[in-house]
Amino acid sequence: MNHSNVKRERLTPEEINRYSRHLTLPEVGVEGQERLKAARILCIGAGGLGSPIGIYLAAAGVGVIGVIDDDSVDITNLNRQIAHSSGDAGRRKVDSIKERMLAINPLIKVETYDTRLTAENALDIFSRYDMVIDGSDNFSTRYLVNDAAYFAGIPLVYGSIFRFEGQMSVFHPHVHGPCYRCLYSNPPPASLVPS
Amino acid sequence: MATEAIKMVLGKGEVLIGRLMLYDSLRMSFKNVRLRKDPNCELCGDNPSVHELIDYQAFCSVPMPGDRQDYLGFDEQEVSITAQELKQLLQSEGRITLLDVREPHEWQIARIDKARLTPLSQFDEYIPEFNPEEEIYLYCYKGMRSLTALKKLYDKGFRKLHSLSGGIDRWAEEVDPDMPRY
Repeated sequence: MNHSNVKRERLTPEEINRYSRHLTLPEVGVEGQERLKAARILCIGAGGLGSPIGIYLAAAGVGVIGVIDDDSVDITNLNRQIAHSSGDAGRRKVDSIKERMLAINPLIKVETYDTRLTAENALDIFSRYDMVIDGSDNFSTRYLVNDAAYFAGIPLVYGSIFRFEGQMSVFHPHVHGPCYRCLYSNPPPASLVPS
Repeated sequence: MATEAIKMVLGKGEVLIGRLMLYDSLRMSFKNVRLRKDPNCELCGDNPSVHELIDYQAFCSVPMPGDRQDYLGFDEQEVSITAQELKQLLQSEGRITLLDVREPHEWQIARIDKARLTPLSQFDEYIPEFNPEEEIYLYCYKGMRSLTALKKLYDKGFRKLHSLSGGIDRWAEEVDPDMPRY
């Protein structure tokens, strides 16, 4: 099933070479790689989830990747937020992850938003992308991302982790299936939320 | 998550729409549970009540200062003690009831001398051991859990209560720079 608009962008010889191991997979091929090149994906957060997501999407050749995060890199982040290095401590996370993503693949474009996602800016930012991936770490952002993705009409890849456990789903209620609110109609009491 | 996004771009495979994948790395188990759309969902249900973006901080009841005081029943400022004040007390008083309400694995990393470990998770069991006539000082990691423990004592009639503002993290920053921080 195809959940994205079928957009394609022609590959340059340099890209054909770089993505050759994709091009030989029947599920990807030239057409798939051209779709990836034309795709615009927004990643919420450049932390524990956002780091590998950003790195994989960049390496795979997603044409435009947006990253939004309002935090800076702290030494205690580095045990898991693998996009950032020791020398990045104190830098803005969006700057640090952008540098890492472009170091892996300079043929893509990374758009950064060094701000907190809010009800005021969410729809404007979401409207520029085909889908959104939520790597945020708090409930208010999670509900905001769910609602904004719904109003923008784009699919949402949801994931969250706690200690050794994680969960993941894809929400696209305009096509079928539930949204995040169908699972969790109300947030947990603030006193139960781990910091 | 990146793979799911890529599959949707490619239009290949089956994405997790309508399924929740649960991953437990200690058991190294992956489980898939079916998800159903909730017809009563306030966003995508049959009679939605959410028609535009709302105030998500309020929705998730991120507490406001006023609400907090109502909930706690005491003035946070009045029970707060700074790291410097606690340091002076520890130097001047021979004996002091200083309770560390963090959990044992945190106690292993760092602790304040003269403190006693009374984890918040078992705090109720310790309460009968405390004397309401004595001044009691509480601390945790950042100053939140010590307020929760303080409230438990306050609700039992204790009044001579103090909570280290900013917790052991602030203590390490302002009083004991050699203490490991986590």
